[in-house]
Amino acid sequence: MGVFEFRVGRKKPTPGELAKERLKVVLVHDRMKISPELLEIIKQELVSVISRRLDIDEQQMQVNLMRESGIDKLHTDIPIKRQKVTFEWDPPSYTPGTPVMRGKVHIEEDNEAE
Amino acid sequence: MDSRVITITSGKGGVGKTTTTANLGTALAMQGKKVAVVDSDIGLRNLDAVLGLENRIVYDLVDVVEGQCRLRQALIKDKRLPELYLLPAAQTRDKNAVNSVQMEQLCRQLRQEFEYILIDSPAGIEQGFRNAIVGADEIIIVANPEMASVRDADRIIGLVEAAGKPEPRLLLNRLRPEMVKRGDMMDVTDVLEVLGIELVGIIPEDEMIIVATNKGEPAVYDKRSRAGRAYINAAQRIMGEAVPLDEFDEAPSLLERLRRLMGFGQSEAERRVRSQPS
Repeated sequence: MGVFEFRVGRKKPTPGELAKERLKVVLVHDRMKISPELLEIIKQELVSVISRRLDIDEQQMQVNLMRESGIDKLHTDIPIKRQKVTFEWDPPSYTPGTPVMRGKVHIEEDNEAE
Repeated sequence: MDSRVITITSGKGGVGKTTTTANLGTALAMQGKKVAVVDSDIGLRNLDAVLGLENRIVYDLVDVVEGQCRLRQALIKDKRLPELYLLPAAQTRDKNAVNSVQMEQLCRQLRQEFEYILIDSPAGIEQGFRNAIVGADEIIIVANPEMASVRDADRIIGLVEAAGKPEPRLLLNRLRPEMVKRGDMMDVTDVLEVLGIELVGIIPEDEMIIVATNKGEPAVYDKRSRAGRAYINAAQRIMGEAVPLDEFDEAPSLLERLRRLMGFGQSEAERRVRSQPS
């Protein structure tokens, strides 16, 4: 299929590839006996730990099990919301109409508390 | 006698365990090996019919383990091959009629008479499956290149390991090269990557299998059957011979490659991809 891949550019996965990818996900769950409920608990705990330091987008966050090059992995994508930093110490070069000042700047406070 | 007990299993039903057992057993016997094929699917006897021996059964596996008859009395000699014997399953009993200890004993008895003992396992992961693997030296997992079958195969791999048996080998059955070519079916490499076990054979989908079963003559007898030829290769691999794996046209043919290079006569997959907005 190499030739037409080149002609068409990025292609949608074929049903065969789709089956393989879906299988990989299913098998990681089967093998580790990790239920979706447990995964949800892990997700919530990650959220609570990380949001102490960073403002993360919980809605977009993903916690998955996957297998890559023979290793089972806990894979998470944690989008960070637009950093709330003040203009005083790090003025963003481009702020497209976002209320930049809105966020919390708890980082220093946390450090002082320790 | 230096003998090997090989269990053919799959987890999922209907992937071709019995067909595989019949064909591998016949192929090994054709190579001059002394072979016993054992139907351990108690209550759902089928291996006898695939081999065309269904009307010769007097005693069965349960009779042997219960001591109702001697092993020799229950073994049915094949119609054509003098070195091939069948030990049929009981049809009127259920899977709990036999326990693991009895099965292990039976395997030991069979070892004294045969070089190869192929056990056709029932589907599932219950007692019947455990009985089928308990006396085995090697395990061959039959899987089809589709999700449910591969998933069950993975489960079986785990259970075989847990039972302290060596890593099973895979026999990929009912592969459809045309579908793989189009990208509509998982390829051998995909399944191997997912399961991570060694391959013992690839059997292409073949209508002749049904014809062979209808006649009660395993497909390995038919030189025109591509599944039959693939089973012969798999049997030779089991015997330890180095037989190359690409036994049928899986890569695009020269004509197909040329056609693609020239950019006309696109394949189905190609058309589909091209109509997708990229």
